[in-house]
Parts: sequence; C-alpha cells; structure tokens
Amino acid sequence: MGQVSSTGPALAVDSISYSYSDTLAVDSISFEVAPGEIFGLLGPNGAGKSTTVKMLTGQLSPSAGSIHVLGMDARSQLADIQARIGVCFEEKNLYTAMTATENLKFFASLFGIKLHDARSLLDRVDLAARADDRVADYSKGMRQRLMMARALLNTPDILFLDEPTDGLDPVSARTIQGLIKEESARGAAVVLTTHDMYEADSLADRVAFINQGSILAMDAPEALKLQHGQRSVRIRARGKDGDVEEIVIPLEGEDAADQVQRAVAELDLLTIHTEEATLEDVFVAYAGRGLDA
Amino acid sequence: MNFGVISAIFRKDLIVFSRDRFYVFITIIGLVAFVAMYWLLPDSVDETIHLGVVQTGMDTLFDGLGAGDQGLEIVEFDTVDQLRGAVEDGTDGIVAGMAFPEDFLDPGTKPTVDLFVTAALPAEYEKAMEGLASQLGFLVSGTEPPIDLATHTVVLGIDRVGNQVSLQEQMRPLLAFFVLMVETMALASLISTEVQLRTVTAVLVTPARTRDFIAAKALMGTILALTEVLILMTLIRGFVGDVPVLLLALVLGALMVTGVGLLAGSSGRDFIGVMLMALAIMIPLMIPAFGALFPGTAATWIKVLPTYGLVQAIVGVTTRAASWSDLSGDLAMLAAWCLVLLGLGTVVLRRRVATL
Repeated sequence: MGQVSSTGPALAVDSISYSYSDTLAVDSISFEVAPGEIFGLLGPNGAGKSTTVKMLTGQLSPSAGSIHVLGMDARSQLADIQARIGVCFEEKNLYTAMTATENLKFFASLFGIKLHDARSLLDRVDLAARADDRVADYSKGMRQRLMMARALLNTPDILFLDEPTDGLDPVSARTIQGLIKEESARGAAVVLTTHDMYEADSLADRVAFINQGSILAMDAPEALKLQHGQRSVRIRARGKDGDVEEIVIPLEGEDAADQVQRAVAELDLLTIHTEEATLEDVFVAYAGRGLDA
Repeated sequence: MNFGVISAIFRKDLIVFSRDRFYVFITIIGLVAFVAMYWLLPDSVDETIHLGVVQTGMDTLFDGLGAGDQGLEIVEFDTVDQLRGAVEDGTDGIVAGMAFPEDFLDPGTKPTVDLFVTAALPAEYEKAMEGLASQLGFLVSGTEPPIDLATHTVVLGIDRVGNQVSLQEQMRPLLAFFVLMVETMALASLISTEVQLRTVTAVLVTPARTRDFIAAKALMGTILALTEVLILMTLIRGFVGDVPVLLLALVLGALMVTGVGLLAGSSGRDFIGVMLMALAIMIPLMIPAFGALFPGTAATWIKVLPTYGLVQAIVGVTTRAASWSDLSGDLAMLAAWCLVLLGLGTVVLRRRVATL
C-alpha cells in the first residue's frame, strides 16, 4: 500500500481535463473533498459529471492536471487507490446469472477479502431476505441497492456514487440516502453525482455546478441559495369578485414586512407560504439552462 | 499478474457459463451429436469391386477371375435387363456391369461388349472396366496383347491396401474443429456480455487489472475448449499413435480458438454481431479440416491457414502414425499462429475495455 495522508483532503483534484476526440468533455476543473464530507457534482446530462467520476476512479486518465486520492497519485498508485474506494455506477452492471451473495463474494475476492457474512451487508440494503435469489429476478431498485452494498464491500475511504437514486422508488431512494449519511458519519468522503437538485440539497455538504465541462460555482447549497436566489412570500387570497388571486412579495425589499402585514390584514387569505430559491434556480442563474435540459 | 484475482474471475465465469442455458445446451448437444455422427459413419473401406456380368459359355474363365483376383467379385446375371437394374440400384454393391454378347467367342467376329456404369462412377473406373473387357478378349481368344508389360508397384509411405483410412477417421479433425468452434462462440459471448453490461467496468475499478481480466478469460476459453475436445477425442477413439504430440496439438488448437474468441467477443456489438464475427473468422479456418475429408485435393494456399497444422497433426498422428519429427514443422506453424491470434485478441479486447 502507498503512503496515505491522514490529515489532508480525501480527494484533491487539480485542473483536470479530458477530451473525447475533438470534444472537450471536462475543462480544467479543480476541487477538494474532505474526509466525511458529502460533495455533490450537480449538472444536466452531458455536462461532464460522469467523465469526471471516471477520471477520479481510474477508468479514464486525464489529459491534463492531477488527481490525488487519500494522498496517493492517481497515475502511479491507481491499484492502491482502487483498493480503498467504492464505486456505485449509473449502469446496473451486476452479474445477473448470479445471486446477490455470489456477486458480493466475487467482488470481495477481487479486493482480497474473504466475505464470510454477506447477509449482514445485504441487511443494510434491505436485501437479506433475497440474498440467494438471482439478480435477474431483482427489480431496478433492488439492483441499485445491491450495487450500493457492493460499493461498501471494502469499507471504502471514499465513495463515488453516480446517479445512485435515479429513477428509483421512494423506499429504495430513502435506503440509499440513509446509507450515504451513515458512510459520511463513519468518516468516508462521498462524491455524489446527480442531476436531482433536491437530493443534492438534502444530502450534500457542498455542491459544484458543472456545465459544459466546467465548474460554474461551488459552495454549500444553503450558501448558494442565499447568494443567488430570491426569498419571497407567496399569498393566495380571494378577491372582491370571488376569484383567487396570487401575490408574491420579495423579502429583499425594504418595505417587505409592511407589504406582508398589509396583505394579511386586508385580504381574504387562503394560503400563505414563504419561498426560497432552489438549487435549480441558482443553476439556471449561472448556466442559463435548467438541470433537466 | 494477480493470481488470486485471475482465479476469482475464472471461478465466476464458470458459474456464469454453467447457468447460461443456451451454451450448456449447445455444448452438450454438440458433443452428443458429433460423437453420434462419428459412430454412425462407416469404420472401414470396402476395397472389393463388385462387377456384374452377363455372359454365355465363359463360366470357367469367370470362375477363375472371381476366385483368383483379390478385390474383384464377379456377380453373374442371366439377362441384360437384370444387370442394368442391379447397376442402377447398386444391388450387392455392384458399381458396374459388363454384358458380353453371345458371339463373343466366335472367331473372326468383332463383338461389342456393353459396359454399364452409374453416373456417379468415377471416369477412371470406367476406363478400368474397358481395359478389363479387352483383357478378357485376349484371354478368351488365346492371343497375346500387342505389348505385354510387366509392372512393379512401389508404394511410397504406408501401404494402405486392406487398411484404408475410413470416413470415421477422416472426420476426426472436422469434429474436433466443430467442438472448438462451439467453445469459441461461448467465450466470445461471455466477453461480449461483460462489455455490453459494463460488468468489466465494475471489475476494473477494484484492484483487478485489465491484464488479470484478459488472462482469466484466456484461461477460461482454453480450459473449456480443451476439456471438450479431449472428451470428444476420447469418445471417438482419437487417442492412438503418438499421444503426447496429439495432446500438444490440441492444447495449441484450444489456445488458438481462445484468441479467436477474444477477438470476436470484443469486436461484436451484440449477441448476433458476436456470432457473425465468430463465424466469419472460423469458417475460413475450417477449410483445412474439410480438406482432410478429400485427401489430395487441398490447394497449396491452405497450408498458410492457422488451422492447417492442427489438422495435419490430428490426421497424421491418428491415421499415419506420424511422430514429432514428421509434424514439428506443422506444430511450429500452429504455435506461431496461436501467438498471433492470442496477441491480436488481447490487443483488441484491451482497446475495447479502455474505450468503455
């Protein structure tokens, strides 16, 4: 095993780039992720998120820049790095002819681990009851949970999760989100790639907006929303002619409080809500396009 | 190389292969069918020529011919129509018939002997029959032919008279090749599935390296192909003669088709594509095995095909008692082709994995 820094960042990315033929997929991006931090890479399809993760996990070699994982250089110490990371792919790349237990035991053997108790790991993803069923008979959500269990086999120091809850049922999505929080609490750094702004908002300590291969902004979700979003109060009330009217009062204005008081006193209120900007709003402000574009 | 990783991937592939109903089915059915085909083929060659004859007054002469000439059996018929019918139907293995006219023995006449042959009879048989009729004419008339030649036959190589290579023996290389081809397709499909489902990506973000993955696949393909061809050769009585040389040829053959499997598996984009690619490569490679069915017909260019050495080794050891010294050139060529195909398959698979 190579030398591992115990005090530095879990992941340090410095000006990495990658091109597919003539197309620049990732353009000189840099960021760091601390141990225990959940870092979200947020961007629309084709923004460069998956290419970035491929470089971070050793599937692609950056054409420029450097990557240090747990203090080790990704070019010269890739095998040592890969022994200490867990990867959950967007594709459900499991051996469907094998059972969940067989899948886990096989991948454990690649790490040189004798997996005596696959069931307890499967229990963490609510699959213990189906441990001996072939993966071909699993639903999409079950396969995704098994992929998550596979990513945890070697008790990784960094988890790379590519769209881990994309298209999943709420129960499976909650199970995976719970595991991400548990792993973060254990001290593992988590790099989460998603185009789901709500997931990024609820899970990530920091997010980076990535579009056309470049990082547009990077900060805690709350900070981004405060910096670039607009808070407001949305009021629905019944008018004099009986029609429902909707009024939005921005909270940034000097007389915002007066406007709200007046509305409450004078209107026949139906509902009143405070509103804040979403990460999607912030992304649109930066990129000029939505996350689903 | 990480042998623990190679062993893990190999064991996983065995599980996946054993659960693929299609490949288990074609492997078992193929083996059973090829063995059955072998045993249904004739295991000996009938060297006797069965000749039908209609003749009058030459009983003594023909009795002498039938008894004295090894390899010639005379069957007599009463009428020309009976003779024609027997030749047409191939009754009692009769391949030709001669009808001698009643005036054949009359001095001073120029009799015409009718010769009946089937359309399938080779032209040289027809000429031989004509020669036999002339010889009989000289014998009956008591005169000598214009030139009385004495011939001395020298058989070069093994004299096969009474011990011809049977169709069973001729089929051995082709059957062995069919089995190897089935396993080539199985390996190609295993690789292609890994690439298409991206399971190879999941393997390669662990401490497993691409070289470990390829080594495991090559090991799997070679052991599968070798195991099956060894079972086949055992069941079709293939282990005769110089067995170590034969085993070496089969190991090289298994390695060679593994190279083809790596190549086809990493080139095809889906199941059909993989099958077509494997067939496109394997069909030309089958030509030497087909050539073994028709000795003497193979063109010179066939000798440069990768499987020529394999076929020569199987045919040579099992039918000509060939040894290492007879086959070293063919085996060297086979080994060289193994290296080329395995190298090519490895390079293509490595490139395919790198571009996922």
